[in-house]
Amino acid sequence: MYSAQITRANPTCIVLLIDQSGSMSDPFSGDSSRKKADFVAEVVNHTLHDLVIRCTKTEEVRNYYHIAVIGYGRHVGTCFSAELGARQMVPISQVADYPLQVKSSYKRVSDGAGGWVEIPVRYPVWIHPSADGKTPMCDALGKVKEILEQWLKDHPHGFPPTVLHLTDGESSDGDPDEIGQQIMSLGTDDGAVLLFNCHISSRRAAKIEYPTEQASLPDGFARSLFQISSRLPPNFLSAAAQLGVHVVEGSRGFVFNGDPSSIVQFYEIGTSLTGMTPYRWMDDDRRTELA
Amino acid sequence: MSSVKQSAIWELKTRQLLLPKLDHEATECEDFIAADEDTCRFAVTDGATEAFDAQNWARRLAQSWVQSQSALTAEEFREWVATEGRELHDSWNGLSLSWYSEEKARTGSFAALVGVELDFKTDSPSWTAIALGDSCLIHCREGNLLKSLPLSRPEDFNSAPVLVASDASMHEKSMTSVVIDSGNCNNGDVLLLLSDAMACWFLERFEKGDVDPNELLTTKEDHELKQFFDDERLAGRMRNDDLAVLRIELISGE
Repeated sequence: MYSAQITRANPTCIVLLIDQSGSMSDPFSGDSSRKKADFVAEVVNHTLHDLVIRCTKTEEVRNYYHIAVIGYGRHVGTCFSAELGARQMVPISQVADYPLQVKSSYKRVSDGAGGWVEIPVRYPVWIHPSADGKTPMCDALGKVKEILEQWLKDHPHGFPPTVLHLTDGESSDGDPDEIGQQIMSLGTDDGAVLLFNCHISSRRAAKIEYPTEQASLPDGFARSLFQISSRLPPNFLSAAAQLGVHVVEGSRGFVFNGDPSSIVQFYEIGTSLTGMTPYRWMDDDRRTELA
Repeated sequence: MSSVKQSAIWELKTRQLLLPKLDHEATECEDFIAADEDTCRFAVTDGATEAFDAQNWARRLAQSWVQSQSALTAEEFREWVATEGRELHDSWNGLSLSWYSEEKARTGSFAALVGVELDFKTDSPSWTAIALGDSCLIHCREGNLLKSLPLSRPEDFNSAPVLVASDASMHEKSMTSVVIDSGNCNNGDVLLLLSDAMACWFLERFEKGDVDPNELLTTKEDHELKQFFDDERLAGRMRNDDLAVLRIELISGE
């Protein structure tokens, strides 16, 4: 299980599910200058960038992945717009070809001889920050289920879909357990859909990352998200270990009271897939700053 | 199969097999085999699937290394790769690239390389090999495995080996992983140069006693070999990757 090779004939899909409720406009605890929504949009854009780069073969982008980015707050639906806005699930080659804009900047890198050089880099943008409305988590998970059911009809044999859900608060439309379990019961003949959840907090509270059991969790909401978080398959465990994250067999894809560095790692681990080396798009000095 | 006399006494028999991944065209294969009878050099390279222009990088490394008179010491190898890398990057100048190709090109290209040079100047021939990455040289004698480098166990193969980088700074960092080794040859010895999936499969099968090194590439026609390795990959006994193997048998006329 979770060993199917990802190819153009057998692609996989990745769903990024993002809480865009009003509270996402609050800053992270201890960092009044950084709104959660701004940071999450930045990480999502970087994640899409890295998925595109991973599929780039010189001048062609191969459709190893199909991507959906679903937001929920005042509205529930795709976060893509313009050319990509018409469909919920988009082949990665189209994601590559239709960013909203491509920003240019310079990055300082080692010149290999003890010095530094500045090189031009491109930052494509697909989604802008959004924070408005309540937290209709069940409605959003229902939308994800609907998209996955449709996608799985056409792709029953490949590496199963991965859903990376990020939220900063409790559901405003009921307990997500039932719909979460329904999503986790879907799958391909290579395994069940992987649903991973990352909860971020504005409060100064101890973060809990990739737990194996729920006894240590602080409340019912945390336990509810734990219940709908899949166990990390071996390749994801390896990816986490490569990033220096403490995981063991049985660890769930679940973070509670996460901080900015938790979000970065959550997306890196969640998109590592089968045997893929996790991309480290964030510079080490910036990671240290976030840690 | 080809056969070339290398000295008054010694003759080389070589045979090679190159297969793309299942469901891929031969033109998409990123493994390369190169041989030069004048320099008595042989190489297998494997372009990293995720890298920019990996096919050209792997081809360039294989073809240039077998024609080179140097690149068999760490210092020579450092200089040679740096030159090849600069030339590869120069070939990208003037290309009009999309943002993603430009980003991909920024990190350069990557490939595994294993090369071996045979020396017939003395009565007892010897080999010297250089390797960086997970393509392997395996030296067999009378059905036994004498040496396997740079990797020797199936569990050593993972998806993130240190590779030959076309970018100067990355290449410099990879130099600590270069493996250089040598050995002597007897009549009937077999040297195998293999890309990673083939090397991993071979070592795994050899451990289980399921493969005789003397028989690899000797008992089947090309179409039968293709069918056999297609079946191995379909059955999951071998990773679905490009496959390259070059078999060199040393035969004494005495």
